[in-house]
Amino acid sequence: MSPHPLHSSSGVSDMDEMAATHAHAHAHAHAARAQVVVLPSARPSSPPRASIPVSSSAYAPPQTAAAKLPFSAAVSAPTSASGSITVAIASSGLGPEPSTLTEPVWDTVKRDLARIVSNLKLVVFPNPFREDPGKALRDWDLWGPFFFIVLLGLILSWSATAKKSQVFAVAFAVLAAGAIVLTLNVLLLGGNIIFFQSLSLLGYCLFPLDVGALICMLKDSVILKMVVVTVTLAWSSWAAYPLMSAAVNPKRKALALYPVFLMYISVACLIIAID
Amino acid sequence: MDQRQVVSENYANPITCFFHVLFKAGALAFYILFSLFVKSFVIIFVITVLLAALDFWVVKNVSGRILVGLRWWNEIDDDGNSVWKFECLDGESLARMNKKDSWLFWWTLYLTAAAWIVLGIFSLIRLEADYLLVVGVCLSLSIANIVGFTKCNKDAKKNIQTFAQNALASRVTSSLQSAFGVI
Repeated sequence: MSPHPLHSSSGVSDMDEMAATHAHAHAHAHAARAQVVVLPSARPSSPPRASIPVSSSAYAPPQTAAAKLPFSAAVSAPTSASGSITVAIASSGLGPEPSTLTEPVWDTVKRDLARIVSNLKLVVFPNPFREDPGKALRDWDLWGPFFFIVLLGLILSWSATAKKSQVFAVAFAVLAAGAIVLTLNVLLLGGNIIFFQSLSLLGYCLFPLDVGALICMLKDSVILKMVVVTVTLAWSSWAAYPLMSAAVNPKRKALALYPVFLMYISVACLIIAID
Repeated sequence: MDQRQVVSENYANPITCFFHVLFKAGALAFYILFSLFVKSFVIIFVITVLLAALDFWVVKNVSGRILVGLRWWNEIDDDGNSVWKFECLDGESLARMNKKDSWLFWWTLYLTAAAWIVLGIFSLIRLEADYLLVVGVCLSLSIANIVGFTKCNKDAKKNIQTFAQNALASRVTSSLQSAFGVI
C-alpha cells in the first residue's frame, strides 16, 4: 500500500516540474522548483487569486504552480506516516506558504497598483479587447473610479469661487449616483452586465474629463475650455461606448447609451460653467 | 491596546491590531471633530472618506488574513459571470489563530458599522444631505467588509469540516487525534 501513494505524489511533482519547465523561463522554473521543495509543508486551501495575463503576467507562474500544490498536499497528507506529519507540522510554521494569505504586504500593494494602471489603460486607450469589454475588465476594481470621482469633485470645488462645499457634494453625488443609475438602467433593459464591473468601467471613463477639468482650471480662456471639454467629452464617450453597446440588445442600444452620454455631457457642462 | 483582559493570552499581532483599529478610529474621529469645529465640508469629506477607504483596504488585504486567516475578493470568470472567491488557512493553522486577535477583528468590524449608522441618523435628523453622503460612503465600505468576511468565515468552516472528515476517515494515529482534540 505505501509505495503506491508515494509514487503518485512523485508523479504529481514531476508533472509540476515538467509544466514549469515547458511554460516558463529558467528563473521561473527555479522558483517553481523552490516551491516544490516547500511542498511537504503546504496545506490544502482554495486556489490563490488569478489575474488576467495582461495585467500581471509576472505573477502568473508562481500562482499557476501554487494552484497545483493543494491537490498533491491533499493526496500526501492522509496517507503519510505520523513521523512525516510531525515534520510537516513543525516545518509549516517556519517557511512561508505559497498563497496570497501569507504574502508580504508590499506584494499586495504592488499588485493592486498594477491592476489599477492596467485597468485604466484597457478602458481609456485602444486595446485588443475593445470588442469584448467584459474580458478587458475582468479584474475590475473600484479604487480608480473612486479616485477619479474625488479628484473631479476637488478640481471643480477648487475652481468655484463660492459655495465650494455644494459644488463638491453635487459633483460627487451626480457621478456616484449616476454610475449606479446607469448600471441599473442597463439591467432593467434586460442587458447582460455585471454591476460592479459596470461601475468600474464608468468610473475609469472619467479619466479624460478629469484631465480636461484640470486643464480648464489652469487656463481661463473660454474658447480653450470649449475645445478641451469637447475633446475630453468625446474621449470619455468613446471609452464608455463598447461596454454599454455590447451589454444590451442591439434594438435597445440607444436607450442604454443615451443616459451615459447625458451624464458625461452634464459633467462637461459643470466643468465649463464653474469658474 | 495595552489593557490585558486575559492574563494567560496576549495579542499575537499587536502592530496589525493597531493598524486595524487606527484607520477606523481616525475616520470616525475626523468626521465627528471636524464637523463640530471645522465648517469646510470638502476637507471633512476627503479626509474621512480617504481614511475609510484606507481602512477598507487594510482590513480586506492585511489584517483579515493576519488576524483571522481569511481573505475574500470578487472576479469574473471566462464565461463572464461574477464569482466570489474565498481563501482561508487550513484547519490546523486556523486553530492556532489567536483568540484575542479574532475577537478584536470581528467586534471592531461591527462596532464601526454601528457607529456610522448612528452618525447617519444624526445627519438625517438635522437634514444635512451632504454629511449623509459621507456616512453613506463609509457605511458602504464597512458593510462590504462585513459581508465579505462573514461569507469567507462560513466557507472556512466548511473547509475545516471537510478536512476533519477526511482526516478521520483515513484512520490517523493517536498523536494526530490528540492534535485534532486541540482543535
